[in-house]
Amino acid sequence: MRTYLIDNEKNEYIIDLTKTTAHSADMVEFEFRTIKDDQEINKELIYVRKLAGQYFASTDGIKWNKLARQDSPSIMLNINRVFKLYRGYKPSGLGGGDESGLFTQMPGKVVKIFCKIGDNVVKGQTLVILEAMKMENEIKSGVTGQVKAIHVKTGDALDNGILMVEVEPEE
Amino acid sequence: MIKPNILPKRILIINRGEIAARIAKACRELGHVAIGVWTDNEVQAKHLEVCDEWVRLPGSTNAETYLNIPNILEVCKKYKIDGVHPGYGFLSENTEFSQILVENGITWIGPHPEAVRVMGDKGVSKLFAQKNGIPVVPGSTGVVPTIKEAIKIANEIKYPILLKAVAGGGGRGMRACYNEEDIHANFEAVQREAASAFKCGDLLVEKYIVNPHHIEVQILADKKGNVFHFFERECSIQRRHQKIVEEAPSPFIGDDEALRQRVCTSAVKLAKAINYDSAGTVELIMGEDREFYFLEMNTRIQVEHPITEEITGIDLIVCMIQSAFGEDLGIPSQDWIKRTGHAIECRICAEDPITMLPAPGTVTGCETNFPQGIRFDNCLYKGLIVTPDFDPMVGKLISKGILRSVAIRKMIAALDGLLIEGLKTNIPLHKAIMKNETFAKGTYSTSFISTEKPQDHVDIEMDFTSIYKQIAGIEARRMGL
Repeated sequence: MRTYLIDNEKNEYIIDLTKTTAHSADMVEFEFRTIKDDQEINKELIYVRKLAGQYFASTDGIKWNKLARQDSPSIMLNINRVFKLYRGYKPSGLGGGDESGLFTQMPGKVVKIFCKIGDNVVKGQTLVILEAMKMENEIKSGVTGQVKAIHVKTGDALDNGILMVEVEPEE
Repeated sequence: MIKPNILPKRILIINRGEIAARIAKACRELGHVAIGVWTDNEVQAKHLEVCDEWVRLPGSTNAETYLNIPNILEVCKKYKIDGVHPGYGFLSENTEFSQILVENGITWIGPHPEAVRVMGDKGVSKLFAQKNGIPVVPGSTGVVPTIKEAIKIANEIKYPILLKAVAGGGGRGMRACYNEEDIHANFEAVQREAASAFKCGDLLVEKYIVNPHHIEVQILADKKGNVFHFFERECSIQRRHQKIVEEAPSPFIGDDEALRQRVCTSAVKLAKAINYDSAGTVELIMGEDREFYFLEMNTRIQVEHPITEEITGIDLIVCMIQSAFGEDLGIPSQDWIKRTGHAIECRICAEDPITMLPAPGTVTGCETNFPQGIRFDNCLYKGLIVTPDFDPMVGKLISKGILRSVAIRKMIAALDGLLIEGLKTNIPLHKAIMKNETFAKGTYSTSFISTEKPQDHVDIEMDFTSIYKQIAGIEARRMGL
């Protein structure tokens, strides 16, 4: 089984489950490897066992740590990086779109929109102000071009990953 | 059969998250009925699990729900509420609200409105503190128009001093001066800066407190005039002027019992002067020279109250409720209150551990594996959605040890045993703080985050083992393990 981890900057890690060995009814051994930029960069064995209704994981089958039970998470964290997690498939349409489209990177409320359809904007120009967690965030255009569509209005409460504004890049 | 000596009261908890749960537990322990509230923004409000009754607040913004005084008053009448506990934040220091409740014969579980009014005004509270013998940060009494005047005041209050824009804030329009030449060099520059940034070039002169410590004293009073202190807390580790780690007792005061005594008795004196009758906190700023000055008084229960409970064994929320209904606190005297050991609190927030900026999201998994004696006041559960509408704090991790070093050891183990998946948290930052040498020595000041930069010591390398373990857990469950 292949799992794709892709962050907001389009960094992509491919995690392959290369081998599964069931040792008993309550213990399984997994072999994982990670591919980045077509290179295998890491390989490890992980043991998982179920004991008294809890799941434990280990790298050596000797020392165990409790796992937090997760169903089918769509995100995975590494300290300060959030990855979208795709189990078994790579999503289409990733890459390219964000360049000219402004997506929300966190849930928030639209405070102000500084452009209208047909406006000529430059790269780095603030197009929207989004309030998240009592702070105002300036959402800037990634390209120079013309505003093609605005999908939100002032006061809208938006979820993560929502397309707010589309800019047609200059030829 | 022992009969309870008081009638059960119906208590409305007009708050959410961990503090609502904390208050509900205290209500039930005392035999009262805990009535919790929820809004459509929090479909799975976990604090309701520990409440006896639940009331839905209509509306989608805080103004329509938690801050809607007319509606809350209606709720109080409809549900025959005897008392209201506000927790912290929201309406906890709103005198309009407490006044209306009192006028309607409902008990306000907090101090009388006059105390909140006096302490809520920065200028008024400082004058009040000064009148009652607590020093305030020395400085000019009004606008300082000339360099000559500034030098005169600086000589009186002694260097270093701060040239400060009257309208300033957020660290702008401020400059430290260590001698007369500095004042000559900076006065006009700060004036210009202030004029352009705040459209007002007026300056003040204030004593500059180098590497200050944030020290605060927990106060608890009843309606019979008894005022007790529960020793001090140090809350010098802050980001954006908000506390993230607190400890009790203060490592800076350390073994200086005479200083501790002076700090705590000044706080009691201030509370007595305002006829204080609930739980509250007197906040002080202490310089490297151990001189302390009044900052403000918080007329509510504070986020960091658990560390005081841990070292004194007193349940502050229970006492606050007892006090509000005019009951005895069961505390014979100040000397009877003792402290043992050391307690530390880490505020667990949904934020980036490096930039410390809020990071809303969804908790996909949550598990704890703590050492003995850890307290975790929280509102976490698998599926919790941290929205931008509320404070990013999702829990408070509290450790206690007979020694400070033991409390730190337990905290490090507790942070390792706190698994929150799917949501960015400041747990890695707390680990870096706990392992910092200056923190270990206990010599840090409020400049800790900016000078020690624990955020630069957070390891951000890809932790493949952790990622594999998570994926392995998901796969194992799919396999039916």
